[in-house]
Amino acid sequence: MKIIALYNIKGGVGKTATAVNLAYLAAQSGYRTLVWDLDPQGASSYYFRVKPKVKGGSKELIAGERELDNLIKATDFENLDLLPADFSFRNLDLVLDARKKPTQRLKKLLQPLSDSYDFIFLDCPPNISLLSEAIFESSDVLLSPIIPTTLSLRTLEQLKKFIKESKLKDLQLIPFFSMADRRKNMHKEIMETLSEKHPDMLQTAIPYASDIERMGLERMPLGGYTNKSRSTEAYQALWQEILDIIKLL
Amino acid sequence: MTAPPLQFELPEHMAAKKIISRLGNKIDFQIVSEQYAIKTFYDSLDWRLYSADILCELNQSKTASYISLIDRNSGECLALENLKEVPRFSSQFKNGSLKTLLDSLLGIRALLPLCQLPHQVYQINILNQDQKTIVRIRLEEYEGLDGRISLQPLKGYEKEFDRVSMLFEKSFELTPTTCSILNNALKLQGRRAKDYNSKLAIKLDPELRADKASKVIYRALLKAIKTNEAGTIADIDTEFLHDFRVAVRRTRAGLSQIKHVFPDSVVAQHAGFFSWLGQITGATRDLDVYLLNYKQYITALPDSLHDDIAPLYAFLKQKKKQEQTELANHLKSQKYIKRLLEWEQYLKEALPEKGCSNAANLTIKELADQRLWKVYKRLIKEAEEITEDSKAESLHALRKTCKKLRYLMEFFQSLYPDDEIKTLIKALKGFQDVLGNIQDVDVQATSLKKFSEEMMVNKVQSNTFLAMGVLVQNLETMRCAARKDFAKQFSLFNQEENRTIFKSLFAPQVDIKKP
Ligand SMILES: Nc1ncnc2c1ncn2[C@@H]1O[C@H](COP(=O)(O)OP(=O)(O)OP(=O)(O)O)[C@@H](O)[C@H]1O
Ligand SMILES: [Mg+2]
Repeated sequence: MKIIALYNIKGGVGKTATAVNLAYLAAQSGYRTLVWDLDPQGASSYYFRVKPKVKGGSKELIAGERELDNLIKATDFENLDLLPADFSFRNLDLVLDARKKPTQRLKKLLQPLSDSYDFIFLDCPPNISLLSEAIFESSDVLLSPIIPTTLSLRTLEQLKKFIKESKLKDLQLIPFFSMADRRKNMHKEIMETLSEKHPDMLQTAIPYASDIERMGLERMPLGGYTNKSRSTEAYQALWQEILDIIKLL
Repeated sequence: MTAPPLQFELPEHMAAKKIISRLGNKIDFQIVSEQYAIKTFYDSLDWRLYSADILCELNQSKTASYISLIDRNSGECLALENLKEVPRFSSQFKNGSLKTLLDSLLGIRALLPLCQLPHQVYQINILNQDQKTIVRIRLEEYEGLDGRISLQPLKGYEKEFDRVSMLFEKSFELTPTTCSILNNALKLQGRRAKDYNSKLAIKLDPELRADKASKVIYRALLKAIKTNEAGTIADIDTEFLHDFRVAVRRTRAGLSQIKHVFPDSVVAQHAGFFSWLGQITGATRDLDVYLLNYKQYITALPDSLHDDIAPLYAFLKQKKKQEQTELANHLKSQKYIKRLLEWEQYLKEALPEKGCSNAANLTIKELADQRLWKVYKRLIKEAEEITEDSKAESLHALRKTCKKLRYLMEFFQSLYPDDEIKTLIKALKGFQDVLGNIQDVDVQATSLKKFSEEMMVNKVQSNTFLAMGVLVQNLETMRCAARKDFAKQFSLFNQEENRTIFKSLFAPQVDIKKP
């Protein structure tokens, strides 16, 4: 089982869109896949038409009073399950803070699922917090969508520094460009300089595209309503690149 | 990850279209697909999968073709694989959980199609207010069989599932069933599951006249011969021929050991036929055994000789093919068909009012007691005479006597207390194994020598003969070990406890003292 966290300090960069679409692709190729919606806004739950409600809320969840397995919902897609969000997740930080080893908590909760799933995607809320640290501790891959803007360069560097300082040796950071707009010259320039500075950036960029934006209306992963487009191919290529890296881990 | 589905059998009059239209008033749903499909069930001739409570089905449609193993009781899918054609042997499947499971259950037996069921299949999703699927439904409408509906629960939607299944039970008045469509299809063919088993299971009435009871036994054996005939001719797997030969040998043993129940002329007429059947099937069976043992041969050889022995395999394969063709021709010949029919006819005929001899007029229990006791005593005598210097012939004779006793015990098993006769059969089997080992090893060594002579003609590399020589040596070693084991195995068989049971079951009840 590999755990892939979609993470960026900044909001609205395409974390949820990526988590949902990559999980869909993984499941399609036969991997038993789970998406855990950790964001109280419940965007990925919404995309899968699952009520953002977890019995017992964040308290009982973090306390381990409920087995994660009992909270999981099948999605409409084969091999693809979802652990929904709950509004109470907005205070996950406080609940975690009340525990002894807060940053080890998620890892421990996820442990029993290791036989049931090949991939778990964590759809994380933005910002850096105790929850993000717990996510870093539990994940194998930190997949970080980067919008090609000047500010993004700084956030990526901040993130790298943080990972280094926290001695997260087992965590593989994988940044990639998200919502890249070919029509904007600035995007093109930034992508070029950023790739030079950060050769670990994936080759594939997810374009800014209206069919991806439509996920909110369709309420399903891109592949559920689009057969083949530039966007589906980009996600496919991205997933392949990630798989190649994961195989080496 | 997925819970097993809940199945309902549809009443005869209820068409899929009707169910669907009635569903429309009650619940929100979406028809995902409607397709023509074919379901084919597979098992070995002796129902190895079914006996392990597993169903193997191939589902073919325009868009998909997959094979799955299903727990017969719960309906749970144990393994699934996309596959266009089902290979005959488990060893020919792709590595994976399906193969592992099939390997362990089927062994050397072939997978055969049992029945093919064309049907129309509807995939339906039951939806909630968010248009999220909460239950999946598979509706199958068969030709000539009642339809099936199966409700597939989805993780996390258990309550919704209960509501939907209640709806089916209440509104459509259906009750869940765990009986597979396979059972209905078999019934339609006039068959039933587990209708063949290579073990003899003959139920005899102890009071039945001996000649009549003998016919019951021979009819059961004839059925086994006929069941295995086609598979033997087609060489589906090696067990067909094996079971065919066992039934032939048992018939021969019966004719010689259930003495005097039929007129001598009748026995003479048919015994010759069965001994001919034994002869014409022998060479093919021997080659099957060498081919089945081939892996063991290899492992017994040092690595350096592995490549050298390969020509032996090719030779055996080739020879087997020739012998098989000849055997198949024999079993398709007028002679075979005519003689078997004569035997069948004789078994069908009513017996005369009075049996042809004293033996024929005994009850079968009386005759069984006499025969078993006599052969048992002979076995003990022969075995006690075996010493370390005994010739191979004596051992061979003893082995034959053991076989006779074994077959008699199996024919008459139902006449004796189950536990006790089973204990004796098991003990005898252990003893037979050691004798069988000695004999097999002898025969194999002799054959290998013979084969190497035949192979000389084919310009085979000298290293191959070297490797075969090592094999023969290995066999000699095994023979010595088996020979050494003899005394121990006999004393195990001849232990007090077994002797007491033999005596209590078969010995004459009253000892009439001679003056
Ligand atoms: N490649 C894209 N092209 C066009 N629109 C996109 C693309 N990716 C995401 N979007 C849209 O942008 C918005 C934000 O995307 P998304 O929710 O995936 O980001 P996020 O990082 O998860 O945001 P948050 O931080 O709020 O969780 C959504 O409305 C989504 O539909
Ligand atoms: Mg999000």
